[in-house]
Amino acid sequence: MNVSVTGPRIIFNIPILGGIPVTETIVNGWIVMAIITLVCFILGRNLSVRNPSKRQIVAEKLYAMLSSLVSDTMGKHNMFFLPYIGALFSYSILSSLSGLVGLRAPTGDLNTTIGFALVAFFLIQFYNIKNKGVLGWLKGFTEPVVFLTPLNIISEIANPISMAFRHFGNIASGIVITTLIYGALSALSKTLLGWIPILGSIPFFQAGIPAFLSIYFDVFTSFLQAYIISMLTMVYVGSANEA
Amino acid sequence: MQKFQEFVTIAPWTIIFTWINLIILVLIMKKLLFKPVAKMLEQREEEVSSMYQKAEEAQKSAQSLETEYTQKLTGAKEEAARIMKEATREAALRGEEIVAEAQQKASSLITKAQKEIEREKNAAVSEIKSDIASIAVSVAEKVIEKDINESDYERLVEEFINSRGDNA
Repeated sequence: MNVSVTGPRIIFNIPILGGIPVTETIVNGWIVMAIITLVCFILGRNLSVRNPSKRQIVAEKLYAMLSSLVSDTMGKHNMFFLPYIGALFSYSILSSLSGLVGLRAPTGDLNTTIGFALVAFFLIQFYNIKNKGVLGWLKGFTEPVVFLTPLNIISEIANPISMAFRHFGNIASGIVITTLIYGALSALSKTLLGWIPILGSIPFFQAGIPAFLSIYFDVFTSFLQAYIISMLTMVYVGSANEA
Repeated sequence: MQKFQEFVTIAPWTIIFTWINLIILVLIMKKLLFKPVAKMLEQREEEVSSMYQKAEEAQKSAQSLETEYTQKLTGAKEEAARIMKEATREAALRGEEIVAEAQQKASSLITKAQKEIEREKNAAVSEIKSDIASIAVSVAEKVIEKDINESDYERLVEEFINSRGDNA
């Protein structure tokens, strides 16, 4: 049997600038955004100072966790990054988890994670230039000794690449493994049960077994990678913009 | 048209869309969740601190009231004791005064009575003297049948009485 793993499907093209391809990644990203918007709307509505509702307690808890994470990692002076870290984390985790309901995860597309990583990269360079000046920023690459300059530049560029590929690789491998397992289980049911007239055409093994594997490959990895990319962004940007 | 992108490829438009998505998401989350929650938490903090302040103020005023009342109570007790003492002292004084007055009155009454008695006695004595004198005169007249001068008689009677002493 044939099992093929492809990139995101191009859903339509916007016919300007030579055709802008709108892929599954982008459309699923919009779905994720819509869900986040709905959740934020529900959580952030009718907040009261006294006697908070259960809904509000959830909102407060989320806010408190996220803001303590940001202030502990980046420092109090970087608290204005809170909405970005919140957006990055929720976009990443829900994108990855969207694979569970059959969507192609946006984070399973290298370009999404490159987008995340480049934001961090540009913020790092921006704050280095802002805090040290252009010359100080350039001089930073020659430290501690001049002949390490190429290595410094490589490591600076490797940063976003490793961030992007780490996130992409984990989610994409989940997609690949899930696809492979489905293929394998389908083949298994066909081999073992294929001789039964009607039941043989139903791939019994595909029900149930992938769900357990999903717990690791999708749920656990989704949380972990969302946490890692948020944490790395906070650490790198925070150290570039120290008080 | 079922076209797929490569599994690993760089698609700049997807990156750009990701950025746009992130920016929009930041704005949405800020507007719908972070700002309202932050505002509410700030309000709550303000309310809590103002409550603490109010509680402290109330405690302070309660304490000051307590001290004030304690002081007032002590003052009142002292005042009561003072009034009691004064009243007792005054009463004692007044009692003494009354007793003294009564004694004075009694003594003056006694003196008056004694004087009266003395006066009465003197009057009685002189009356008796004159009675005796006239009786003696009339008796003597009858006895000696001789009209003697009254003044001589009185002198004689005086001598007689004086010689008898003041025993009458």
